Amino acid sequence: MAEQNATETVVISARDVDFFYGEFHALKGVSMDMLEHEVTAMIGPSGCGKSTFLKLLNRMNDFVPGARLAGDILIRGEPVYGPDSDPVDIRRKVGMVFQRPNPFPKSIYDNICYGPRLVGVRAKQELDALVEKALRAAALWDEVKDLLGKSAMDLSGGQQQRVCIARALALEPDILLMDEPTSALDPIATAKVEEWIKTSGLTIVIVTHNMQQAARISDRTAFFYMGSLVEFGKTRDLFTRPRETQTENYITGRFG
Amino acid sequence: MLAARRGFEPRRRRRREFTALLFIRLTGAFTAGVMALVVGFIAFNGAGAISVPFLTEYPRDAMTAGGILPAIEGTLILALGALLTAVPLGFGAAVYLAEYARPGPLVSVIRLGVLNLSGVPSVVFGLFGLALFVKTFGFGRSILAGSLTLGLLILPTVVAASEEALRQTPQSFREAALALGASRWQAIRQVVLPAALPGMLTGAILALGRAAGETAPIVFTASCAYTLASPGSVFQEVMALSTHILNLATNGTRIEETLPQQFGTALVLLALVLGLSLCAIIVRAKLRKGRRW
Ligand SMILES: Nc1ncnc2c1ncn2[C@@H]1O[C@H](COP(=O)(O)OP(=O)(O)O)[C@@H](O)[C@H]1O
Ligand SMILES: [Mg+2]
Repeated sequence: MAEQNATETVVISARDVDFFYGEFHALKGVSMDMLEHEVTAMIGPSGCGKSTFLKLLNRMNDFVPGARLAGDILIRGEPVYGPDSDPVDIRRKVGMVFQRPNPFPKSIYDNICYGPRLVGVRAKQELDALVEKALRAAALWDEVKDLLGKSAMDLSGGQQQRVCIARALALEPDILLMDEPTSALDPIATAKVEEWIKTSGLTIVIVTHNMQQAARISDRTAFFYMGSLVEFGKTRDLFTRPRETQTENYITGRFG
Repeated sequence: MLAARRGFEPRRRRRREFTALLFIRLTGAFTAGVMALVVGFIAFNGAGAISVPFLTEYPRDAMTAGGILPAIEGTLILALGALLTAVPLGFGAAVYLAEYARPGPLVSVIRLGVLNLSGVPSVVFGLFGLALFVKTFGFGRSILAGSLTLGLLILPTVVAASEEALRQTPQSFREAALALGASRWQAIRQVVLPAALPGMLTGAILALGRAAGETAPIVFTASCAYTLASPGSVFQEVMALSTHILNLATNGTRIEETLPQQFGTALVLLALVLGLSLCAIIVRAKLRKGRRW
């Protein structure tokens, strides 16, 4: 969590984004900028389009039949949906962590190596180093350094989720997208993942339906409602002095 | 009070429960009984014929003596050939249907084809194999023609089992791989297929059992009454257990004399098929252990 940045570099920029699942208008004219080294939280009632927006950022909606996008999304000025942009390349640079821990049914080591191997890293030494670095970054190294050959499926839920974080980090992304990464975790595991998010220094976009979590870990918060971005601003401001009544109603628990 | 309604009084309810349970138990016992009867009958009549020479020698004296080694070999070869035919085709079709195909006319046609194929009587496959592989392609009555015919016969089973196994693989595995920059095919090959393989193999082994037991398809396309040596190429005919029984029981003048051979062969075939099913069950149980999804 970066309190105040000297230079505020825009890393991800969405401009008038509309998104349709067939006839269904899932995102309506969303524009927002996400800044370097910041944690941007997206909150809002279930079904308001948070996941949809998040998946647009690394083109994980490409596989949805009948989906349609209008508007622009830029990452460091490059159009994500431009004619020359390569979805596979974007997904390698923009990591993603999902709602439920989804390690592969492989060893911890092979889970972490999956991304690096895809881009052609083969040397054992290099892979070993990447695995250690990623696991340290995900605050998991001390717990699993002696069990790297063990199936990731045998770990606890919190450890599995941190394996998934490490797996994403092994590709050394500078942007990480997280979709309710702690909703399947117990409070202790949640605290560990939150701690990691606050200190990682990466540019993180995180969806959460837990407002306290957004308040605890994010620099900026975006409130979505029925496909629209209702309010977006500094987390402290949004939670203490919301500008919109819809935001106020939501954060005070009057609906949602 | 609804709870006091007729039918909800405890005695009546318990009586019904008892009757239903009794009925279910009886049907279960009956099914198991019939199974035991068939297996027992074959085992009782065939056990006497089983001996080391019976399993390792060639037939002698117009099949009234000697063993059935060439028929065992032939059945194993044909079943393996069927598997080699059906597995690549079936796995490929299943991957297409489960991973790539979007609902549309093409998929409907494929599905309809697979469904109908599984309802076609095996004798029709035999005739089809005769017309296409034996005659049109000129393979003659041969291991090749028989394997291809049997392969087509079990193809629907392999496709259905494999597709089911692929569909049971969690979507989250695919998402995870794609999000790490895998192409679709990489995600399938590196993550989805390894996870689905146990299920796919189970289906294939069960299909293998079916292929080993079939008679009609190979009568037309692959089997001969008698061979003197193991086959040297895929263009040769072979004996097979199923057709050997058929031949002993319906052809020639020594039907009564060869009865022990008939039952002995039937027992070997039954053991082979049940053995394969058992294999499938063990493979599935073993590979299930490591997965929790
Ligand atoms: N693949 C899809 N096809 C059709 N509609 C979808 C699909 N995914 C999500 N939706 C719909 O889009 C809306 C937004 O979904 P989502 O982005 O998952 O919401 P959130 O993450 O905020 O709960 C919901 O109404 C949902 O039903
Ligand atoms: Mg969601």
